[in-house]
Amino acid sequence: MKTTKFLFILFLLLPVCIWAQGIEVSGNVVSVDDNMPLGGVTVQVQNTNKGVITDFDGNYVLENVDENATLIFSFIGFKTQEIQIDGRSSIDVLMVVDAASLDEIVVTGYGKERKVDITGAITVVDLAPVEGQSLSSGNAMQALQGRVPGLFVEKSGDPTGLNSKILIRGVTTLGNNDPLYVIDGVPTKRQEVFASLNPDVIESIQILKDASASSLYGSRAANGVIVVTTKSGSKGERLTVSINSNISVQSEKNQRYDMLNSQQRGEALWRASVNDGADPTGGYGEIYNFDWNGDFNNPVLNGVTVQPFVGGDPNVPAGDTDWQDATYEKGYVFNNEVTVSASSEKSSLLINLGYLKNTGMLKYTNYDRYTAKINGSTKLFNDKLKFGVNTQFSTSDETLATPDVGSAPTPGLAITLAPTIPVYDANGDFAGPLGAGYSDRNNPVLMQYLNRWDNAEKNNFFGSVYAELQILENLTFRSTLGIDFSDFKKKDIETKVSNGFITRSNNRLIYDTNKFSSLVFSNVLNYNLEFGESKFGAILGIESVREDFDTVFAQADDFAVESESYFVLNAATGARTTNGLSTQYSLFSQFGKLNYSYADKYLATFTLRRDGSSRFGKNNRYGVFPAATVGWKISNEDFFPEEGIVSDLKVRVGYGEVGNQEIGNVARFGLYEARYGQNQAQLTGGFFEIYYNVGTAYDINGNDTGNLPSGFVSTQAENPDLKWETTKEWNYGVDFSLFNNAVIGSFDYFSRETSDILTTPPIPSVLGEGQQRVLNGATTKTNGWELALNYSKSISNDFSFGVSTNFGAFKDEITFLPADVLAGFPGTADNSILGHSQFSIFGYKTDGLFQSQAEVDAHPNGGVQTNNARPGGIKFVDLNNDGKINGDDRDFIGNTLPDLEYGIRIDLTYKKIDFSVFGSGVAGRIGTDPYIFWNNFVQGRDNAAPGVLNAWTPNNTSSDIPSLSLVNNIGGDNDYVYRKNSYFKLRTMQLGYSFPEDLISKWAGMTGLRVYCQGENLFWFTPKDYIGSDPERIDVNRIPVPTTLSVGLNINF
Amino acid sequence: MKKNINIIGCILATFILVACSKDFLEYEPEGVLSNENVATAENAEALVIAAYAGIGNDEMIGPLTHMWVYGSVRSDDAYKGGGGRGDVGEIDKYEQYNLTVPDMGDFMAPRTWTDFYKAISRANFALSVINEIPDAEYADKTIRQAELRFLRAHSHFMLKLLFKKIPYITEGLSAEEIALTSNDVDNDALWNTIADDFLFAYNNLPQAQDQVGRADKNAAAAYLAKLRLYQAYEQNDTHQVTNINASRLQEVIDYADDVTGALEADYGNNYLDGFDNGPESIWAVQFSINDGTTVGRVSYVTGLNSPHGTPLYGCCGFHLASQNMVNAFKTDANGLPLLDTFNDTNIFNTINNEGKAPLASGITLDPRIDHTVGIPGRPFKYRNTVNEAGDMIYNFSWARDPGVYGYFGNMKEQQAPDCSCYVKEGPFVGTSKNIDFIRYADVLLFKAEALIQLGQVDAGIAIINQIRTRAKASTQRQIDAGASNVYIVGMYPMGMSKPDAFKALMFERRLEFGMEGPRFFDLVRWGMAEPVLNAYLAVEKTRKDFLTNAQFTAGRDEYYPIPQREIDFTGGLYLQNPGY
Repeated sequence: MKTTKFLFILFLLLPVCIWAQGIEVSGNVVSVDDNMPLGGVTVQVQNTNKGVITDFDGNYVLENVDENATLIFSFIGFKTQEIQIDGRSSIDVLMVVDAASLDEIVVTGYGKERKVDITGAITVVDLAPVEGQSLSSGNAMQALQGRVPGLFVEKSGDPTGLNSKILIRGVTTLGNNDPLYVIDGVPTKRQEVFASLNPDVIESIQILKDASASSLYGSRAANGVIVVTTKSGSKGERLTVSINSNISVQSEKNQRYDMLNSQQRGEALWRASVNDGADPTGGYGEIYNFDWNGDFNNPVLNGVTVQPFVGGDPNVPAGDTDWQDATYEKGYVFNNEVTVSASSEKSSLLINLGYLKNTGMLKYTNYDRYTAKINGSTKLFNDKLKFGVNTQFSTSDETLATPDVGSAPTPGLAITLAPTIPVYDANGDFAGPLGAGYSDRNNPVLMQYLNRWDNAEKNNFFGSVYAELQILENLTFRSTLGIDFSDFKKKDIETKVSNGFITRSNNRLIYDTNKFSSLVFSNVLNYNLEFGESKFGAILGIESVREDFDTVFAQADDFAVESESYFVLNAATGARTTNGLSTQYSLFSQFGKLNYSYADKYLATFTLRRDGSSRFGKNNRYGVFPAATVGWKISNEDFFPEEGIVSDLKVRVGYGEVGNQEIGNVARFGLYEARYGQNQAQLTGGFFEIYYNVGTAYDINGNDTGNLPSGFVSTQAENPDLKWETTKEWNYGVDFSLFNNAVIGSFDYFSRETSDILTTPPIPSVLGEGQQRVLNGATTKTNGWELALNYSKSISNDFSFGVSTNFGAFKDEITFLPADVLAGFPGTADNSILGHSQFSIFGYKTDGLFQSQAEVDAHPNGGVQTNNARPGGIKFVDLNNDGKINGDDRDFIGNTLPDLEYGIRIDLTYKKIDFSVFGSGVAGRIGTDPYIFWNNFVQGRDNAAPGVLNAWTPNNTSSDIPSLSLVNNIGGDNDYVYRKNSYFKLRTMQLGYSFPEDLISKWAGMTGLRVYCQGENLFWFTPKDYIGSDPERIDVNRIPVPTTLSVGLNINF
Repeated sequence: MKKNINIIGCILATFILVACSKDFLEYEPEGVLSNENVATAENAEALVIAAYAGIGNDEMIGPLTHMWVYGSVRSDDAYKGGGGRGDVGEIDKYEQYNLTVPDMGDFMAPRTWTDFYKAISRANFALSVINEIPDAEYADKTIRQAELRFLRAHSHFMLKLLFKKIPYITEGLSAEEIALTSNDVDNDALWNTIADDFLFAYNNLPQAQDQVGRADKNAAAAYLAKLRLYQAYEQNDTHQVTNINASRLQEVIDYADDVTGALEADYGNNYLDGFDNGPESIWAVQFSINDGTTVGRVSYVTGLNSPHGTPLYGCCGFHLASQNMVNAFKTDANGLPLLDTFNDTNIFNTINNEGKAPLASGITLDPRIDHTVGIPGRPFKYRNTVNEAGDMIYNFSWARDPGVYGYFGNMKEQQAPDCSCYVKEGPFVGTSKNIDFIRYADVLLFKAEALIQLGQVDAGIAIINQIRTRAKASTQRQIDAGASNVYIVGMYPMGMSKPDAFKALMFERRLEFGMEGPRFFDLVRWGMAEPVLNAYLAVEKTRKDFLTNAQFTAGRDEYYPIPQREIDFTGGLYLQNPGY
């Protein structure tokens, strides 16, 4: 510290000594971003070589300056400002972060390089808009959604805020497409780790998209890499404190499905029953009184009235329940974080504490999370050796949606339960289905209530210790020991239930626990050399990873008392079972990278990585993955016009190969297990599978009880030749800036082929139990492009605005499948999936509704048509014109992944007010719209939606909703239920106000204070065909993504 | 500086150490076995146990052990039940016959196909291991081989009844060979292939085994009688019976005579806990409870079928007796069934305000009705009381959806709620009561059928009367529980004509095995499915309008379609059954 300070003072003094003429100008330079003083800013008098550098408190003094001169303030990472002195002696400057700063340093694979020198497809995420934003999900991924070209994120409204899908550049492989996260040099595949990072501690995020960029991260990087660097301490020798706090209110009202009321449902059931030729009173006479003419040929309904009591029980007066209204309430999110950071000459320290609470919109759900981060480092031996530690703890406790007695999750029940069931009966107890005509499903409010003691506790520890030794001036060695650890404990208390006609007469406690740990040890040599116009960099490293995973599952029955504190395993008096497993794998890698640049014009990078994985057999254990990129900064050439439209231009080409080993740890082995008494649900989950014994124990002695003899069963067939899946990718990119950096953009085109894809195809049943195996069995090709365009302009000192857009498009197709694998994919021998996306839907095409019996008789029948051959029924197309409808009439009808993803963001700043709006969308995909299931069909036991009241009848032939039926409804794969579900969603809108510094500095030395309000998921646009509420609501058994309103404040000291 | 060097030295040493560590990437799976260490003589016995477990590994939506969906609901015995037609709609489509299509997802027939082949693979794997063990090292080698071939044949036999054209899988085939095994096999040849396995069992098993769960010679003989009986009715490609093979029928008689067994004193013993593996149980799947398995190794195959409207039971009111079935239990003044007119009038067809269905005076019944059907006002499962007086009297309110499916419950697959064999897991009930695949009564009636077909009518009728005598004696439990004694069972006279005797035999099988599942397969065997079922529908649809559009199509609906996914997964190898 001493030396640097001395240097700074020297810099300050030098000009003072030499040019002691003219007026004196002084002032203070502050970063607008965090209101912190900026030391080290160059203040230069235009057209002279006179200049100073600001001190640590951001102060500068310039003596003997021409009073009409212009001062130029510049600093790496900030926009350069030119300010005329106009005779003033004091000029304070707010430096604005330059989002597209060309000199930004980027962490790319065990090293660093300047952003301008990047030659791979890497998006450096602009974090400025995210800072000071409310992340109501508590998940940093929210900050990335729609902002990064080629990044696709899907989530639900679970209070945990975790994502259901994260894809970079679409899909690479047939199985796991999760990206790799590298946080402060430690890799992990677990999104929870990334999700628990508080936005305030993130220094930078890069998305490495193509193989040439990700190749250095090796085998787990095939789906792209999200590289995160966290902050290390304050800038300058001072203590800073920042506080971010916000409160959000969440509601799913806009995402609800409009369902029928009690009386309307009666009308729908009447019509459907009559169409089926059944007297509606037979099926629903206990719920409704139908007044109709009894003529099945010319049915006329005079009126429907609801029977006064559910199941005839005078304690349960019939209701008119809006179950979504009863099951959901407003949710509140409290999200607070405090960051304290400090630095001294040799050491730096950052402590970040966060607390997130989401009270949950679904009743009795909840999510609490505490996070703590400590980053510290110190230097020894004349700064030759740096030691540091980066740690991240999080502990969370969640209570989420629960299944009912028959395993149906409550979010679905809130849609489907009959409206005639009241929430409470006359005694104030929870009501349930009673009598004929109801589904065997429970009151979702009751189920949430009974499961209020259920929870899952997750403890995560993630971090590393490292030592960095400067061996020579240009040669450093860094050794990092990282750990990624999680401890999961889920408690499920199943109390007795008595709810209408559904009872559960026993109670049970289930503990489902697991431990995961990953130990990463990496050692990297880094060498840099400059000679003449050449810059040369080299990295050489090795890395080992060992992952362990253990589970313990315990359950016990019969608890004498049903209180939260009594549900402890020891207290059970009934049957008890335990299960558990252990598994492990290890990776060992060697890698190297060479960088070369000449004259800041020509760039080249070459990387090579060799990975060994315990998941593969001896002969195929290692994979070698090379990559190379070249770049040409055309704008740095002498011939490039300096005063043209184009201010910067760089073209780059990259080729890379990456391996993938995302299979089970024991995938290559032929395995047998002793399955004493497992059921299928423990292996695959499922509703009926709980009752599906797949064990090997058998009561051969006929004792009826007690311990049973047991055997072994095959669980997986052997494939000793299993080897690395490989992705080869070409990437062509151009980075440019136009109109004096007002427009900055980049365009990438990529072409990718993934071969030897690891896949576990379904097999014909005759092969028998446990005969599935993992194969290297497919090749896919993906082409696509990404475009990012940013425009920013300052109209005056008071007003500036910026627009940034991004687009990503890709098409994937399966180009090769071995015959035995092919049979496991959608399609037939004659019309296979080859040439189609792996997300293609193979199904029937429909052609409207039959209008008359004559039309039905003239139309081919069979197969799926069988249940729909009636006037008003859906007409299936006889694609092969063979006069019958069967499996041969299926074809590929679309793709569930979008052709195009795009995002747009607009920022406006006026004086102290900032405003931003951000939206993103997808186009060119199909998907099931779950709402069709209720809106276009009557499900005998579920409620229906208003569309069914306008279904086809002989008198209402223009409807596209088939004539109602309780049994002849269609599901499955066809273009009636798979529809276009593109959308554009306004994701966030934010308005902020920063208090003037002169005002807040009086408040305990505050350096920044900003308040803001924000809305999320405010509105969206969908295609005409799409009838559901929210196209992102694809699983009705999950809580919908809410509309959120937040207020918050950012305080800095 | 020396310190520095030490540190560097340490780091570099670690660097090299890791780099050199070859063992780092070696990993042996934990808690599992490889092919080498499972395929040993020591494990042979355990592999046989696993193969036995395989035949009982089923559930509600992929039945292996109970044919209530495929044989009872699909016949004139029962309706699907449950909460309306859409509740497990696959069964509704089977019940309507004409809505059954090859591509019906994963529920029911396609899952049963899969699960039987799982069971077959367990038997074949155990066989392939045991075949390699030298005889000297394994005293029971031949016996175990015979048991495994018996198990394999059992699964193939069941599959054949359902799908007719099936690939027959033996041990020692590679995965490629199995995937290329066609289902396009001559019908009679397929019967013989299955019979070969049973014959091996018959020739190599002891008459009885110490462990009652094991297959023995007795079971093999019974199965051979059953198989030869089915085989005797030769079918053409459209499932019509073209010839009845007399020499096969003689084999039925011979094998039946080899079976040692006896009828339970009371018919109801067959359906009660405590009588597992009794003298009438010739071949059964063993279930157990409180055995350390996660949800008990109990039978959940009928888990949907509990009475629905009483907290004593669970969900979901499936498998309900048809009015036709109930009517069939009427007897005339001589105690004989009304073979031709039983369905002309209904009984138990009105409900009073206590939720009971009184029987019109003067009507007499075969007592087996109160072992088979839950009838409002009559004791359920021979009980009056579990918690309070009368709470086990079946009531109209126990029915789930009486407007659609009526209110006649099933009884044989239920146990009293206070039985130690009864477990309620979630909403579904399972029991540790074994399920009999072949009872001695079945063997007797196989023989009677063969005798009558061969013209030995009196000998056949004598066996039928033996069955009826036991039925007649099976009234005490019901009466003790408060059932009104309306039972009369009489014996058929000697000297009947062959057609009348065969009619009596068919009717007796229906009464004796009511709602146990063989009914549909019996009808198909006899070549009677189309006439009997369409006649049943013609009348039954006037009683239950959910059957309005049901129709049985001869030459198609006798068998299930080969699941479309199996055809897709084998690249179109399998031949689809006609009509689909």
